Amino acid sequence: MVLQVLDPTNETAPPVGQPAPRLASLAGKAVGFISNGKEGTTGFFAHLDRMLREELGVAEVIRRVKSNYSAPANPDIVDELRRWQAVVTGIGD
Amino acid sequence: MPLAAKTYTVADIHAAQELYHANGWTDGLPIVPPTEDAVRACLDWAMTPPDQLLGIETVRAVPITAEKLAINAVMAGCLPMHFPVVLTAVTAMLRPEFLLHGATSSTGGCAVLIVLNGPIRRELGAGGTFNALGNSDRATAVIGRAIRLALINILEVRPGGIDRSTLGHPGKFSYCLAEDEEDTAWNPLHVQRGLPGETSAVTVMAAGAPRQIMNEWTTAPEEILETFAAEMRANMRHYSIWAGNYALIIPRQLREHLQAAGWSKADIAAFIHARARVRRGEWAEVGKRAVVRDQADTEYAALEAPDRLLVVAAGGPAGGFGAVIPPWLGNKSAAVTLPIGACVDCGPPGQ
Repeated sequence: MVLQVLDPTNETAPPVGQPAPRLASLAGKAVGFISNGKEGTTGFFAHLDRMLREELGVAEVIRRVKSNYSAPANPDIVDELRRWQAVVTGIGD
Repeated sequence: MPLAAKTYTVADIHAAQELYHANGWTDGLPIVPPTEDAVRACLDWAMTPPDQLLGIETVRAVPITAEKLAINAVMAGCLPMHFPVVLTAVTAMLRPEFLLHGATSSTGGCAVLIVLNGPIRRELGAGGTFNALGNSDRATAVIGRAIRLALINILEVRPGGIDRSTLGHPGKFSYCLAEDEEDTAWNPLHVQRGLPGETSAVTVMAAGAPRQIMNEWTTAPEEILETFAAEMRANMRHYSIWAGNYALIIPRQLREHLQAAGWSKADIAAFIHARARVRRGEWAEVGKRAVVRDQADTEYAALEAPDRLLVVAAGGPAGGFGAVIPPWLGNKSAAVTLPIGACVDCGPPGQ
């Protein structure tokens, strides 16, 4: 028997933001790190901090940690990142 | 009002199965083909228009409408009378304190535990006795499954997609039980959580797998509850030390000893609050010495306050068993209890 069945998915893609223009170089730039605060982030971001400064000439690295690693970044961090030229965020388990 | 969902034409029920499996729209088990008639019957029973917005999952800005939820409920095997429960459970999960995105995407791999209370349990035939945490009855099986299918399809909570669970647990197929209110003198869970007894209600909790305990060698409340507390301490040592909602499932055999001694749910919660505690230094005994640091003597309680404990009377009549259901991740997600707003006695309008 032929059936007409319905799509169970949301069908509309979630809104996505517009990517910021890519930087030609990180030299002299301020780069923020947003950590989820898990144990594994400590070593990862420390290493990345060193690489960015020593190998790519980043002027300043700003490290911030979310208060809840399973929730979006706190509003004050989101506000602050407008002053950075690049952001690195990620999980660390 | 016309339904908004895209329609597919399939040759027969087998083709429908393949369409849904091939698109990643199932939990791996066969589904009931969601036809317009079946979906409308659910919406009519709940007296809810298809475009009613139940809420928005705010992290990814995904709206959840009654229509999409009803489609998934039909797929799970729900009858129209089950839909008000599914609708209320999702509404509860959308409350900010539940932290829906985190709870459903975390590597921690929890499931949504759903507890039914009030008159609706009997109307749906939701059993809170034999096999209460397993395949006890049709109602709890399909309601729990509807929640999982809705997460998969509406919020894209698929393994390896939004769902980053390392292991997950079997409750991610369906994790719903009814409280056995008839066989206990205790206040039902929803009354403990502030609702009137005559109300039907749904409680949702981001929960790990049940940890079964056994103690049939005592009738002393303190000894029975010490076994539950010890299991909670084990969870704190082996899994997560952080305080949050825990659920205790207490079947009839152990419950009767507690009730005979005059212990209420509040007494149980006070005892567990005092006893379910560990020192951070205990981590060194279970291979976690690296994170003890200089806080070995710091004491951690499983419950920030006694009312964080959800005590549920459920389970078959015989056996000195019980279960501890731990939180997904401390207090990052809070259990939510909501009354079911639809009149489940009324049936669809006009009939």
